[in-house]
Amino acid sequence: MRKNRTILIAVVAVIGFLTSCQKVIQLDLSTTSPQLVIQGDIYDEPGPYAVKISKTIDFDKPNIYPPVTNATVTITDNTGKVDNLSQAADGTYVTSTLQGVIGRTYTLTVTIDGKTYTAISTMPEAVNIDTIYSKKSFFGNDKVIVLDFVNPPTKENYYQVVHLVNGKQIPGFSVFDNNSNLVEKVSFSFMTTNITPELVAGDIIDVWLERIDKGVFEYFRTANRNGGRSTSPANPVSNISNGALGYFSACSVRKKTFTYK
Amino acid sequence: MSGYIRDAKTGEDLIGATVSVKELLGKGTGTNAYGFYSLTLPSGQYQITSQYMGYEPQVQQIDLTAPRKIDFLLTSQDNALGEVVVTSQRKNDNITKLEMGVQKLDTKDIKNIPVLFGEKDVLKTIQLLPGIKSAGEGNSGFNVRGGAVDQNLILLDEATVYNASHLMGFFSVFNSDAIKDISVYKGNEPAEYGGRLSSALDIKMNDGNDKKFSVNGGIGLISSRLTVEGPIVKDRGSFIVSARRTYADLFLKLSKDTTLNSAQLYFYDVNAKANYKIDSKNRIFLSGYFGKDVLGLSNTFGINWGNSTATLRWNHLFSDRLFSNTSLIYSNYTYRININNGVELNIISRIQDYSLKQDFQLFAGTNNTIKFGFNSINHKIIPGVITSSSIVDLKTLTNKFVWENAFYISHQHTFSDKFSVEYGARLSIFSSLGPGNFYTYDSIGNPKDTTYYKAGQFVKTYANIEPRITLNYILNQQNSVKASYARNVQNLHLISNSTSGNPTDLWIPSSNNVKPEIADQVSLGYYRNFNNNMYEFSAEIYYKYLQNQIDYKNGAELNFNENVESQILFGSGRAYGLELFLKKKYGRFNGWISYDLSRTERKFDAINNGSYYPARQDRTHDISIVGMYELSKHWSLSATWVYNTGNAVTFPSGKYEVDGKTVMLYTERNASRMPSYHRLDIGATWIVKKTLKFESSWTFSLYNAYGQENAYTITFQNNPDDLTKTQAIQTTLFKFVPSFSYNFKF
Repeated sequence: MRKNRTILIAVVAVIGFLTSCQKVIQLDLSTTSPQLVIQGDIYDEPGPYAVKISKTIDFDKPNIYPPVTNATVTITDNTGKVDNLSQAADGTYVTSTLQGVIGRTYTLTVTIDGKTYTAISTMPEAVNIDTIYSKKSFFGNDKVIVLDFVNPPTKENYYQVVHLVNGKQIPGFSVFDNNSNLVEKVSFSFMTTNITPELVAGDIIDVWLERIDKGVFEYFRTANRNGGRSTSPANPVSNISNGALGYFSACSVRKKTFTYK
Repeated sequence: MSGYIRDAKTGEDLIGATVSVKELLGKGTGTNAYGFYSLTLPSGQYQITSQYMGYEPQVQQIDLTAPRKIDFLLTSQDNALGEVVVTSQRKNDNITKLEMGVQKLDTKDIKNIPVLFGEKDVLKTIQLLPGIKSAGEGNSGFNVRGGAVDQNLILLDEATVYNASHLMGFFSVFNSDAIKDISVYKGNEPAEYGGRLSSALDIKMNDGNDKKFSVNGGIGLISSRLTVEGPIVKDRGSFIVSARRTYADLFLKLSKDTTLNSAQLYFYDVNAKANYKIDSKNRIFLSGYFGKDVLGLSNTFGINWGNSTATLRWNHLFSDRLFSNTSLIYSNYTYRININNGVELNIISRIQDYSLKQDFQLFAGTNNTIKFGFNSINHKIIPGVITSSSIVDLKTLTNKFVWENAFYISHQHTFSDKFSVEYGARLSIFSSLGPGNFYTYDSIGNPKDTTYYKAGQFVKTYANIEPRITLNYILNQQNSVKASYARNVQNLHLISNSTSGNPTDLWIPSSNNVKPEIADQVSLGYYRNFNNNMYEFSAEIYYKYLQNQIDYKNGAELNFNENVESQILFGSGRAYGLELFLKKKYGRFNGWISYDLSRTERKFDAINNGSYYPARQDRTHDISIVGMYELSKHWSLSATWVYNTGNAVTFPSGKYEVDGKTVMLYTERNASRMPSYHRLDIGATWIVKKTLKFESSWTFSLYNAYGQENAYTITFQNNPDDLTKTQAIQTTLFKFVPSFSYNFKF
């Protein structure tokens, strides 16, 4: 139940309508030595799959993240297959032979300057999208995009929804679980706000329904906890060892496309 | 001799009024919460003076040969504007009284101080006193001596109020028209109070006028209120009903956004009280509060929440020296959420108390007063029940049952006219009961074991002894020093990870996983009055050590989580500070200056490598200046200015990119500061008419008069105009908020 934020947004919106204002301010934020960021995804679709490795930067710098080019990256699965990744671009390492298979467990090993970082992820069973449509949000005049699917009767189901508008991926960490209430038919809706230009009729929207494992879900769930009103924002809980930021995910994905109306 | 001290015009009991004996310097006493006093003197002839702030003192010549009942009816000085009553004997209670770390608020002060939207507010006004800090812009939550917001015991006619906020804290639930007396004990409360670490805020409702009917009310920009009071039987019983309703949603109709202009947003509350004197030894009181907030968005989403309390009290005099009060108390806080998004879902959550409280006060001789009693509370917490018309088999959280008992005794002893002491102890016993599943967790928070307990079965019991002591040494009638030590134990904990507090924040009891919070506080104070008690000055220092404090794991899931106890971290804390207070009590110009220098820190193994870090509410400097001036018979002006260091916050110390999204990098908890906060509010009252039969006035106020852009939140995001850059955005809530209201009384 994530209604708290909805309530708060509503009240702040209402009170804010009366009086509030926003402005950009300059803050003297603390800095820290660059830290390692690893992001890897494997799907049950043909590869190659990429692992991106970069470093953090200070808040006031432009968003250009220095790539890490001296890493040794391998992915192995639980049947003993090993893929040594090669650097396709600065900081982007790609697989050559690996093929994601549902049910297999993958281990990512990254070695940089003698230090090794590992992560394990298991690819869950895929879930199909039944339909996609848009409808008016129950909260405002905006439209939401809804996807209907059948939740399998297993105990732990974690999902991530990725969407692309006219082929361009919209950044966002949209994850949810279905463990609180084992509902069979799920209608998941998400907003399309914060994108420019706004959606217009005829836009092509691709939606990916990814089924992720618990470690990856925890990463995105905790990443979403750092809204402006949390009293204790913190780095997301990563499934990578040795203090690296980011995540490694082996997930199954099903895609569907529709034309926005 | 014993008796009651009351207001001559309305019959209201006067709490804390004093009687003193001219012939025996230093002999005297004060009335208790029901206006009762008892004073033991050797046989003889005495001149007794009864006094109360804002009232004409009354002198009676008495011949005391046997126990006598003597009531005093004091006449209010009626703050007729411009008229300043100069009395030769001004009170120096703050010097002589055996209590420290206490702030009392005159309801007249509350009426004069300008506030947000012009809605007079008890909780906003106490935030201007030393040691009590606002939890944020427009927030009725408050922090006392470095404590958290949930560490304040808030009592309305003895009933616990679990959520004292209306509209997310922009208003408090206390309607100042219905309130008689407010006392805040800052951690060294007497033994009859217990259950929270930092403070006890004891609010008493008006009893109602037992002489004549009267009506008063006000019509304001966003709210209106009405109070009716009068005798049930003249001089024997009275009633009061006070109600108010806001209509903030009328402004929303102006919006073009169809969601906003069809939204519901209002609250209302009702206070009611009746009392009846059965005979000279027995009196009963019945009081209640009911309030509700409603927020709805065009039939698809709705939430309402509110408190209700009821108190039935019986005062009984066993003898002239033994006063008894028995109370039956009910308290309830409930929120309901309704979502209708094709499928209808209802969520209900509640905390409900039934309580029996027995207090005795024994006036044992001239120099001794003994208080003792017990309190037994049955708590039921419903963390959340979901129901739906179309979905069956929904998850429901386990209800919590708790039986809380406390026994206390305290002895107030006067050694000489210079030295007095009050010492005592409270034994609190807290038992968590079945039915329900109780879990134990492994180191990463997964449930390890589940044990089912039957209804009424004891799961875990915590017993704690809480010693309390206060010493007062009167140097002379103008100077005194006081010292105190107190231990407080808290067994109900509010789980909230939001900066502003939500109506859906959850109270959890101590359990097999959650230990009682414990605070030990020592404090030392110096009190000085000047200029015939015209000015009052105090300086207090305190040090507080806190055990079993609560914070949350990174990314903790606190909403609707059966295993919410696994999301909690436990640690310790310390708070220390200096509080200075200077008040001018009388005259056309009066007011006060309050300054705090303080530090409050926490220590958790899993946060900041186990070293001390500032708690969110840590503020080095906090200043409040309040001034009120009577310009003429018809006009009075007031102003307040506040300044404080910004709260400790966690700001990012870098950034990185994941999945095309910019993610903030955090290193240390609470290592940064919000910008410092300051604000001036001004107000004016215009008395249009004031006769015995009818009074009317206008009040005007301007909140944030110089339009300071104070930070409510600071967020970090990509620059929407240039996605290659990031920026910090400050949100300011209130700049120049004017308001006015019309008030009447007949």
